Amino acid sequence: MCGMKPVCKIVKPLLTTNYYDAHVRVIGLYKAYYRFIPYLLRRFDIPKSEEDCRWKLREMFYKNACVTDIRVIDMLVIKGFMNLKEMTNNWQQKGHVIANWNPSIENKPCDFVGKFLAGVD
Amino acid sequence: MLKVIATTAKTSFSRSLPAFSTCTTRLAGEIDPTCRKEAPKIDSDTVTALPEEAKEKMVYECTICVPTKVDLSPITGVPEEHVKTRRVRIYQPPKNAMQSGTNNIHHWEMEFDNRQRWENPLMGWTSTGDPLSNLKLEFTSPNEAIEHCEKNGWSWYVDVPKIEKEFRPKNYGLNFSWNRRTRVSTK
Amino acid sequence: MLRQPLSKALALSPCARLAPVTGRRYAQVQAQPEKVEVFIDDKPVYVLPGTTVLQAAALVGVEIPRFCYHERLAVAGNCRMCLVEVEKSPKPVAACAMPVMKGMRVKTTSDLTRKAREGVMEFLLVNHPLDCPICDQGGECDLQDQSMAFGSDKSRFTDIHFSGKRAVEDKDVGPLIKTVMTRCIHCTRCIRFASEVAGIDDLGTTGRGTDMQVGTYVEKMFLSELSGNVIDLCPVGALTSKPYSFAARPWETRRIDSIDVLDPLGSNIVVATRTNEVLRILPRTNEEINEEWLADKSRFACDGLKRQRLVTPMVADSRGNLTPVEWEDAIVAAAQAIRDCPPEKLVAVAGEMADAEALVSLKDLVNRLGGEHVYTEQSFPLAGAGTDLRSSYLFNTKIANVEESDFVLLIGTNVRFEAPLLNARLRKAFIHKETDVALIGPNVDLTYEYMHVGDSASIVKELASGTSNHEVLKRLQSAKRPVLILGADQLKTPEGAALLAYTQELALKLQGKLEDKEWKVLNVLQRNASQVAALDMGYKPGVTADALKNAKVVYLLGADGGQVTRESLPKDCVVIYQGHHGDRGASIADVVFPGAAYTEKRATFVNAEGRPQQTLVAVTPPGKAREDWKIIRALSEVVGAGLPYDTMDEVRERLADVSPTLVCYGEVQDNNYFAQAQALTQALHCYFAIKRRLISPECIPLLYGALSDEGHPVVVLRAALSDPVSM
Repeated sequence: MCGMKPVCKIVKPLLTTNYYDAHVRVIGLYKAYYRFIPYLLRRFDIPKSEEDCRWKLREMFYKNACVTDIRVIDMLVIKGFMNLKEMTNNWQQKGHVIANWNPSIENKPCDFVGKFLAGVD
Repeated sequence: MLKVIATTAKTSFSRSLPAFSTCTTRLAGEIDPTCRKEAPKIDSDTVTALPEEAKEKMVYECTICVPTKVDLSPITGVPEEHVKTRRVRIYQPPKNAMQSGTNNIHHWEMEFDNRQRWENPLMGWTSTGDPLSNLKLEFTSPNEAIEHCEKNGWSWYVDVPKIEKEFRPKNYGLNFSWNRRTRVSTK
Repeated sequence: MLRQPLSKALALSPCARLAPVTGRRYAQVQAQPEKVEVFIDDKPVYVLPGTTVLQAAALVGVEIPRFCYHERLAVAGNCRMCLVEVEKSPKPVAACAMPVMKGMRVKTTSDLTRKAREGVMEFLLVNHPLDCPICDQGGECDLQDQSMAFGSDKSRFTDIHFSGKRAVEDKDVGPLIKTVMTRCIHCTRCIRFASEVAGIDDLGTTGRGTDMQVGTYVEKMFLSELSGNVIDLCPVGALTSKPYSFAARPWETRRIDSIDVLDPLGSNIVVATRTNEVLRILPRTNEEINEEWLADKSRFACDGLKRQRLVTPMVADSRGNLTPVEWEDAIVAAAQAIRDCPPEKLVAVAGEMADAEALVSLKDLVNRLGGEHVYTEQSFPLAGAGTDLRSSYLFNTKIANVEESDFVLLIGTNVRFEAPLLNARLRKAFIHKETDVALIGPNVDLTYEYMHVGDSASIVKELASGTSNHEVLKRLQSAKRPVLILGADQLKTPEGAALLAYTQELALKLQGKLEDKEWKVLNVLQRNASQVAALDMGYKPGVTADALKNAKVVYLLGADGGQVTRESLPKDCVVIYQGHHGDRGASIADVVFPGAAYTEKRATFVNAEGRPQQTLVAVTPPGKAREDWKIIRALSEVVGAGLPYDTMDEVRERLADVSPTLVCYGEVQDNNYFAQAQALTQALHCYFAIKRRLISPECIPLLYGALSDEGHPVVVLRAALSDPVSM
């Protein structure tokens, strides 16, 4: 085998065949969530404002902003719609929704000495 | 040009060809009609499908070109902490020194770095907070293992065992050779 | 070319005609003999003539069951388990002893072969007790596995109603090997190992047939530094590990591949753990270092990892008693002392088991504070090239290449004690490659015959100057691949510099005459696992009394060798000890940091050859103990000279900056500055008469030699031995 590795490979797509279609779906998902936020607040009694939810939504989408593989984008969109469906159908409860903010997780120390004294890796 | 016609005229479809061509690019550029043996079959499902269905079908049938390097970490569901801070060791399992058999060591394995374990105060069992501590995957080659790690975003390193040894024919007679130091006194 | 008439060709002188012919004949002898084709289960394979059927089968991936056959031991051919059918042969043949013939067709799965194996299995089981549930070999027993695979599904054994099964009295061969001789199937692997590899011809058989017994004839200990390997070799549960007896089943343990640090060779090991506890240590095959053997020290020292451990940071209170404190307090106390100390009075001493990451962090810390005093415990002469040239303190020939040598001169080293597996290699070369060995130094038992040249260091001088009329000089000069091995312990005497210089000169003279220009002659056999890495980083070898006399703060990184004592330090000196065992270092310390032992951290160790290898985490450090480099890193931040690395990868990058060879795991870089080292030494005119006798390295050839806890030179072993229950 020579040292050169092929840069691209031919695969089967999931939902879309090009970036434009994938982008349209992502925007569609974003809009769906965005519009659901008022209902979400009405349905789940969580101590967050609409503004908080929008920021969280933005954050969630921007977390995957660097994903370039069309299939991964498609899969993320599918998972996003599944999650939305769970919320609209009340399959998720208050705890599941608030878990997006991780309120109960204690922050681990992130500086070296803090980590050392706490004995975490 | 005459030569071209002369060679093509030998095929059985010579009648469908023009008597002569004025443009050489035409033959080269278009699909050679001699290859098309009959009209394309049209599937009745395709004809009657709705536009959305047709589009979906098209997606299933076509292929796309993606970069070889795939990063599945956003969709695997593995917590981010266990993607970024873990190190994978890719190795060939060593032969058990207690046994002679070598049947189940001819593959490559990957394992994660060993995290903290502690004794469970209730039962005295050993606990760990590491969900990947029992994950041991087998591969036929180190390249497969590397590809799998890269797909999942883990940093990896390969441990190559030094097990190739020089082949030395064994000889029963050496036990009794009179002029070699291999001669044995006891048995 | 014009054709010459035949008569003219015949007229040429006989020599001229014969010369090319003889030359060709010589070349033919040198060339590989023609390979013969044999068929194993109809798979063709080309092998050298003389290869056994079993080896040929292994080449095509067909594994023939065996009990007595072992790759690294002589062929015995007495278990008969490897019987296979060979076409046109009236009887099945023993594959392990049968050389291949041209066109031989071997059938390893035929009915005849199966029947033969089943028969052998039945005979073996007739006299083998059915005590697998209480046998330590259960789960990793060759007899168990092979009876499942090749044995019969029913028993015809009725003798149990009459005379019963054979029973043999257990032998007592020492505190390490447990024997249950009834289980023995007489494969004689242990006997062959003892006489061929270990060189202790104590084991043997008595009696015939049912009365045959394996034993030591008279009751005595199996006194070998490699004795633990017979536990591995035994295909049944006749020889098992005494410390590990009834401890665990093999399927319950986690096995972690690691590196041994108890001798300078860095043998590869597998650490078996369960419930966060190291249960046993097994060898791992590495052809370049330990083949598949392991020295007893490395194998059985794991008991010491559970005893006398430092589990919490400690600070000396007003009355001088060490009291357990939190990490914050200990680090602040140490940082206070270091901050108050002028940098030239800060002395760091690294011990014998310090890993490269901790060493580089400690050196960086001291250097950042403006200090230069970083030392190792083991000394090395600094005259001339000193430790600047890597080739002057490494085992340059490499362990595996020792086998290729035709003459080995050991200078002031008891290899059998200092590096048992190197001694096993030397013995292998002695037996199989007809290598000869000579020794300058105390007349010790190396398990093979050697030429004892004398025990005076001046012999080296005579050899170097060529004035010696001893036979060894002629042998060295005529050798095609000579090897000199100089024990590092000889270099701590005042005359060490001269001894090293003369050895270098001798090596260079020999090297100059060699045909094989790649061959390295000079070797220094270090005594511990940390020295090479420390010297690579620029640690000064051997802590001097001068440095200690003026010290205000002494940082001991696992320095338990007894070089630093309270008497050698000023009264107000603060001693900070970091390490894993409460031993000599911790007993004089004012601040104690509990570190991790080699089974508890991922760390780099460089062996005597200069081969970096890494250990892996097998268990979590006990109590509040932490990985060593992290302790120094945390301390550096409190001192106010924060080190610029936070993760292991960053430390390794730093290691690579210091010396790229430190992170080429598993590889040895060649070192070639022998001539320069010698020239530098010569330039200093440090040649003086050496008359002294070579000091004998602590003559504790075996583990049992020092059953007193004070005596043993290795800290983990001291801990293991201090508790008599463990042995």
